[in-house]
Amino acid sequence: MTQSTSQFSRIGAGFLGMAAGLLLLSGCASMHSTGEEPSARAEANDPLEIPNRFVFALNETVDTFVLRPAAVTYDFWMPTPGKTAVRSFLDYLRSPVILANDLFQGEWDRAETTLTRFAINTATLGVYDLAAYYGYPKHSEDFGQTLALHGVGEGPYLVLPLLGPSNPRDAVGVGVDMVLDPLNWYAWNTDRDWITYTRAGVGAVDARARSLQALDDVKANSLDYYATIRSLYRQRRAAEIRNAGTSDDSGSDAYRDFLPGGKDAKAP
Amino acid sequence: MILSSLRKMIAAAALGCLVAVSPALADSPEKATAFIQELGGKAISTITDQSIGREQRMETFRTLLNKNFDVPGIGRFVLGRYWRTATPEQQQQYLKLFEDSIVRTYAARFEEYSGEQLAVDNARPDGERFMLVDSKIQRPAGSPVAVTWRLFPENGSFKIVDVIVEGVSMSVTQRSDYSSVIQSGGGNVDALLKAMRERLDRV
Repeated sequence: MTQSTSQFSRIGAGFLGMAAGLLLLSGCASMHSTGEEPSARAEANDPLEIPNRFVFALNETVDTFVLRPAAVTYDFWMPTPGKTAVRSFLDYLRSPVILANDLFQGEWDRAETTLTRFAINTATLGVYDLAAYYGYPKHSEDFGQTLALHGVGEGPYLVLPLLGPSNPRDAVGVGVDMVLDPLNWYAWNTDRDWITYTRAGVGAVDARARSLQALDDVKANSLDYYATIRSLYRQRRAAEIRNAGTSDDSGSDAYRDFLPGGKDAKAP
Repeated sequence: MILSSLRKMIAAAALGCLVAVSPALADSPEKATAFIQELGGKAISTITDQSIGREQRMETFRTLLNKNFDVPGIGRFVLGRYWRTATPEQQQQYLKLFEDSIVRTYAARFEEYSGEQLAVDNARPDGERFMLVDSKIQRPAGSPVAVTWRLFPENGSFKIVDVIVEGVSMSVTQRSDYSSVIQSGGGNVDALLKAMRERLDRV
């Protein structure tokens, strides 16, 4: 147990170091671009495609043999109220990080909402989202979004081991969010690392269970699963950063040269 | 006095018409929301009919699709810059395969229909040519899904060119998928046509 724990700590430390390196890398990568095929390259934003595809395949293997089976089991056996409670509790634990990022972003109203939610939901020990019932719906924030709001570009697309689709900005964000979390500090300082890992494991299974149908659907209906996930991740992140409940101007630029009816089709 | 102000009003109204006519969008938000609302109702009442078979469902969907969506326009957009490099034959084959694959993919989704409802919110202009209609799909279980429709007016009605689900554009996603297949096929559209054909045979 102790051996595996220290191993995990090393992974955590290594991850933070890697994240810092990645931020530097993103600065470099955004400075130079090759002239060849600019539009397609810009759209994919994936200069590290070959290593990314390799890590993606590894993650897929882990998903097929570990995460997805766990999520299917959880989804099947856990009754819906139980799933809702798990979801609420995970959200509840994340409150301090959301609050910190609300504040970093100068979103005072949202910060107040987060505080109110935390106070109300403490009454249920976090397992029921009473606050949403009282008109304080949940929202999410993370340090990746905070960085984006302060003008940090996403950098090249990255697939991280176990964590999946990301980019240097969001990878740094994940690391900072870990450090911002008081529960992590409590776990680290009292040698209760199991708290961090249990939470990460439950969070992964919960998230995977909620996307079972959607991901199966994407896999069945795409020709290149990797490229489709890349596009989905980047669009979804952009939408989250816009903080819009509705999908704002997604693709507006791309539609500038839309030609109705495909009228310039060449005559056969 | 009254007459002159009336004349001014008429002039202003005429000018307003001229300004409004050029994008042809300013006066149609209500029409656009009504269009989407009607389409949603029609889709639910016809395609989700549990008594019809798979083939019939696909044909009903195809009719509705071609009437309300600019399928060739979307196809051209999705092929991106490879549209211009494609030969006339490739373009024709591609558009056929594109329509078939949409019908295959989405008709199957309607088979799993379980009481979702479409609630249309509002419409807003998107640039000079398009409009965005915001809506929500209310699910019997789970939180609602935000869906935005991008459409343009045509012949007194509308044609949809994109569906944006929770900030994710279906056309942009499809374009990434296709262009990646073409790129790994050495930039030849035939690689895509082959992959599309194989997928259609498989499902």
